[in-house]
This record gives sequence, structure tokens and C-alpha cells, in this order.
Amino acid sequence: MGIRLYQEPRLENPVMVASWPGIGNIGIIAVDTLREMLGAEEFGEIEPWHFFYPKRVLIRKGVLECLEFPGSKFYFRTMEKGDLILFIGEEQPAEGGRVYAEGKKAYCMANLVLDVAEKFKCRRIYTSGAAVALTHHTMKPRVWAVPNSEGLIREIRGYENTVLMSDIEGRGGQGNITGLNGLLLGVAKRRGLEAICLMGEIPVYLQGLPLSYPKASKSVLEVLSRDLEIEVNLDKLDELDEKIERGIEEFYRQIPLEVRGQLDRLRHVTYTEPSEPGPITEEEEQRIMQEVEKFFKRRGEGG
Amino acid sequence: MSLGDPAGIYRAPELRQSSLVLGWSDDAGGVGRKVTEYLNRKLKGQEVAEIDPEDFFSLGGVAVRSDLAQFPESKFYACQAHELVVFRSDPPRVEWYRFLNSILDVAERHCRVKELCILGAMVTASAHTTPRQLFAVFDSAETKGSLSQYGLVGDMDYQTPPGERPTLNSFLLWIAKGRNLRALSLWVPIPFYLARVEDAQAQKKVLSFLDERLNLRIDFSDLNQEIQEQNEKLAQARSLSPEIDDYIHRLESNLMLSDEENGELIKKIESSLRERS
Repeated sequence: MGIRLYQEPRLENPVMVASWPGIGNIGIIAVDTLREMLGAEEFGEIEPWHFFYPKRVLIRKGVLECLEFPGSKFYFRTMEKGDLILFIGEEQPAEGGRVYAEGKKAYCMANLVLDVAEKFKCRRIYTSGAAVALTHHTMKPRVWAVPNSEGLIREIRGYENTVLMSDIEGRGGQGNITGLNGLLLGVAKRRGLEAICLMGEIPVYLQGLPLSYPKASKSVLEVLSRDLEIEVNLDKLDELDEKIERGIEEFYRQIPLEVRGQLDRLRHVTYTEPSEPGPITEEEEQRIMQEVEKFFKRRGEGG
Repeated sequence: MSLGDPAGIYRAPELRQSSLVLGWSDDAGGVGRKVTEYLNRKLKGQEVAEIDPEDFFSLGGVAVRSDLAQFPESKFYACQAHELVVFRSDPPRVEWYRFLNSILDVAERHCRVKELCILGAMVTASAHTTPRQLFAVFDSAETKGSLSQYGLVGDMDYQTPPGERPTLNSFLLWIAKGRNLRALSLWVPIPFYLARVEDAQAQKKVLSFLDERLNLRIDFSDLNQEIQEQNEKLAQARSLSPEIDDYIHRLESNLMLSDEENGELIKKIESSLRERS
């Protein structure tokens, strides 16, 4: 069980950006877009067989040719202002049908990723995921940022369109980041490495749908590109977003008027700077969630 | 992650150059379970080792089958006179790579296994009266060539369809290939309406190959009797129910049944075989 590096690039002062799939695939789309746009070169991988069940077998004329596993790959790109290592995990090493990794395997994978970060002396690690929020799909998703050291809070406050957990009403700075996108932050802290998780907002009523939410990936990329001082062309992501947005609108129109009326109110919610007609009260929030749950339950039962 | 040896060896069998036959307990048509049981019974297999279930199964309770509480078992049996090792196990729920490697560690280190035969069943939309073929996937073209005289159907082209995952048998075959252990994976077709009951004919197809390949000289008279009885029961079910007869007749004519008809045929055949046993 280990890391296989095909080459050892000379990198100066690199930053690592890592992501695994999660709700809306927000983080992984952001990192993969970065990889594609920068033409980052693959230079290593984590050996998969201890972590994953194979994903594909190829048999030709009765002979087993190959067995493929979900990839956990490292890419690099040298840049003018600090080099970049990207890590993309195609799956989380979850067991028992779960989506998110936890326990020994998750911890082991987090440590392997950080071994590479330390080997190349990364000055910082970013992870990225989703923040399930009381927001509307027509709104620009904000980015929730969670650092693993106090010294980073001041810096994060300077990021555009970004909030800390304590800025989210009712959270009191508390919360959980499920799976490896969160765990990596904790393990990095244990190893004395600076790390920040950037989570793009996804509307609460879309979290259970099997769809990607590139609109939030775009918000994450905007924050990342500013911090990394790189130019990012988001045209491709815009195209994908438009396509998915059409599907979401179609789904939204199928929601009963009564529930949709409640959801429409989310167009006006901003926790940090309340605008008319005012933020939704806790009681109203509960009612919206109940209505949404009822709708999905009926839908699931074929009603 | 603990990487200790999860296998316990009771006694080292005296084997020089053996073959390992591996079957899973929950195969369609009872193929893995029945074939391994049959080999052990006929060839006087002795339990020699087992893999501890702790790391590979969810031990949050027990399953109950046929009124009995079950517990995952992964055991090796040696049939010394025949240079044969039989391994029967419930399929592991987690840590597949380590589990499959543990099997081959015991086989190669303690039983001197030189050839692996993995048993598998594939559920098909065919009738039980259709002559059975035995499909095989090999670790290499060399193994395929060396087994060409046994009438195996070994020209399959396949890749995992989107949304599905490879079988545990493919995973094991791949690990064996990586160890340069000669290996093949057998696939015997099981009519879908016999998948949850036992399919003696499919078991015989696999056993006949093993008998020939490993020169076991098994007397199959008891199994032949079982096949005859099952065929009689199925024929009786057809004669008593025009609906069953029509469904099976259509399958014999290579016609597809609807999902509803499939479900109906499974239900009727299962209850008919249960009534008559």
C-alpha cells in the first residue's frame, strides 16, 4: 500500500489542491477544471487495490486483460508565482455502500496524500467540497471556508464571496465536513501543515439529487484562482452550468406550487447581509425543510 | 490499517503440486456451495485452515437461513490423495484485496497450489432443458491453450458495463495473474428460475470438468439421480401448469419473457420444487 511517483518534478514553493467526489461533485469539478485548463501533468498515484473495489474488467477472447480501479492521482504544473500540485481522487475509499470514507482507510489515504505534500514541501493545502445551504439555485453560490489554523482566519476574511462558519446564522462557527475533503484538513493540522477547505454552496433541495452543481465549482475556482494568482478561463464551466441549470429549472417546475412558493423565498436569503423581505426565521426554515422532505418522499413513492 | 496474517492453519497438509478449487457459498443455483461440498464428501476433504472473519465481514449480528443462524465461514479443505485443496467461503464484504491475497497466501505457501479454479454461476434467460455449456476466463493465453481439450467455451469478449462492477472472481483471477499462478474462472449458466434453488445439472457440468481435469474418478451416480429427480419435478410442474409449460416452452424457443412473466415463473417453479421436496 503506497504511493507510486512516475517522476519527481522540481517544484518551488508549491500549493496542493486536493479533492474527492461529494455532494454535487463541487470540489472535484473545480480541481479537474483547473487540471484541464492548466494542462497539469500526471506524476504519480496512490496504489488503489487496498482502498477500492475494481471498477472495470476487460476480457478479450477469454483472457483477462486488465482490471481497472478508481484512480487517486497527482498532477503538477509549474507556475510563475508558485507551483501547483493537484490531487484528484475518483472515489472516496468508503466501505459498506457509503459514499464518504471514514475510519482506518480514510486516515491512511489522507496521510498518503499529505506524504506527497510534505515531500514536495507544499506551503499550503486546499481541499474543496460542498456546503449544503438555505440558498436558491438562481443565486450565486458563496464559498464557505474552513481553515485548520487560527492564523488563516484573517486572510480568509479578505476573500471575496467567502464566509467563515461563524458568519452563517445559527451555526455559531460550528459544523462538520464529511469525508476526506474534511479529514485531510484535520490530518494536516496534526502534521502541522496549513490547510483550508473551500466549500461551494448547493441549495438544500438539490443535495439529494444525482447531479453535479458546477455553479458552485465556479465560485470555488474564483476564490482559488485569486489566491493562487492564476488566470482561469471559466467558459467551459459556464457551458456545463447552463446545461445543468436547464435540468434544475425543469425539476423545479415540477415541485408543487405550495412548496415552490416556500423555496422561492430562498432567493432573498443572505445571512450575512439580510435583504428584503428579511431572512427566514428558524420556524420557517423548518417548515420549508418539512415541505421539501414531504415532496421528495411522495416523489420517491411514485406519487 | 492492520496487515497481520488473518489465516489460521490447523495442520499443514502433505501436498506437492496441488490444485485449488474455490467456491462462494451464495452462488446462484448453489453451484459454489454444492460443488465444494460434493468434492469434500466424495474425496474425504479434511479441514486444514481458515480465514478469520473479523476483518472481512460485518459482524453486527447473524443472518438466519433455513431457520438456522449463520456465521461467515472461509475454510480450506485438503483432499491429499488427489492433490486437491477446496476453499469455500462467504464472499467478503470489505477488504477484498487482503482477503483474496490471504486465500492465495495459504494456497501457495502451505498447500503448494500450482493451479487455481474459481467457480462461478451466471444467471441466464434460458431453459433448464437447454444443453449447458461451461464458459471460462483464463489468466493467460498459455493457460487457455493448455486447457483446450476440455470443451470449455473460452472466447468470451467482455467489459464491465457502465454502472456495474467486476465480480469478485475477476478480482481474484487478476490477483492470481499478478502472482503468475495458473488460474481460470468458470462460469456455468443457470436458468433464472433455478437461481435461488439448487441446479444439480449445473453442478454436474462443473464437477465433470473438474473430474476430468484433475483425474478425480468420481462416481456421479448420486448426482445423476438428483438431476433425474429435479428434471422429473420440473416436468411434472410443466404438466400441471399450462402457464409454466408455456413460459418454459417460449424460453426453449429463444423467446424473451416479460419482467412480470419472469417473476411469475420464478415464483411458480420455486413453490413447485418446494412442494415436491
